[in-house]
Amino acid sequence: MLSMFKSIPTHMDYKGQKLAEQIFQGVILVSAVIGFIYGLLIQQFGWTVYIMLAGFALSCLLTLPPWPVYRRNPLSWQPPLPETSGENREKPQENLKKKKHK
Amino acid sequence: MNTVLSRANSLFAFSLSVMAALTFGCFITTAFKDRSVPVDIHVSKVMIKNVDDFTGPRERSDLGFVTFDISADLQPIFDWNVKELFLYMSAEYSTKSNALNQVVLWDKIILRGDKTKLNLRDIKSKYFFFDDGNGLRANKNITLTLSWNVVPNAGILPLVVGSGHKSLAFPETYETAKSY
Repeated sequence: MLSMFKSIPTHMDYKGQKLAEQIFQGVILVSAVIGFIYGLLIQQFGWTVYIMLAGFALSCLLTLPPWPVYRRNPLSWQPPLPETSGENREKPQENLKKKKHK
Repeated sequence: MNTVLSRANSLFAFSLSVMAALTFGCFITTAFKDRSVPVDIHVSKVMIKNVDDFTGPRERSDLGFVTFDISADLQPIFDWNVKELFLYMSAEYSTKSNALNQVVLWDKIILRGDKTKLNLRDIKSKYFFFDDGNGLRANKNITLTLSWNVVPNAGILPLVVGSGHKSLAFPETYETAKSY
């Protein structure tokens, strides 16, 4: 069951992560300021907490799922090297064998 | 921030820090407020008896009975940082054996949202007004004051004395045994 959850892709690229962090920090700070002022006006701290929680829920919705807007700058990986990778693997093994004989 | 859990962790920690800052802000806006209001106390009946005090030494002590009225408007004290008020009426006097005696006679809890205009008549004391000895008889100066503890959402719990007190004197003679 858990492997099914782990296989859902949730990655974002680096620019997307920076954008997501800016978005949630902005949303939470704005809702905190609105909540503080509203609570001060009606003299009930409960409303400040409710508005903060609404801001938290909104930023969860905006930044937790990997929306396509966060995947617009993918890293351009180099193309994979062809057959020479087999020769590279043999060399370290030979070195190991020599050391063991000693 | 590559996985959902990592983003959720970051978001939640940030929200908690902001919440802590908001709570501090709530405390700062009300930290230096004066929480005293004028209080009017009126005493209607004073009586004294001399009975066995089973909680103290095996001698008869003075037991006072005071019936009083309180009127006060506590509305200015309640703001967004006050959760409840714990009111208590205390009597303060001095006797030959003790320089200062303070006895709590009655208390009440007022939550935010309850009626804040107090207009209580003919209240009998909730707790026994025992003296340590026989110092109440013919005691000319007993001061009754109403004080309260302010319980906040965030911050210190100040103890405030209402501005207004009543002095009363106890009679010279004891009451003969009457059913109270």
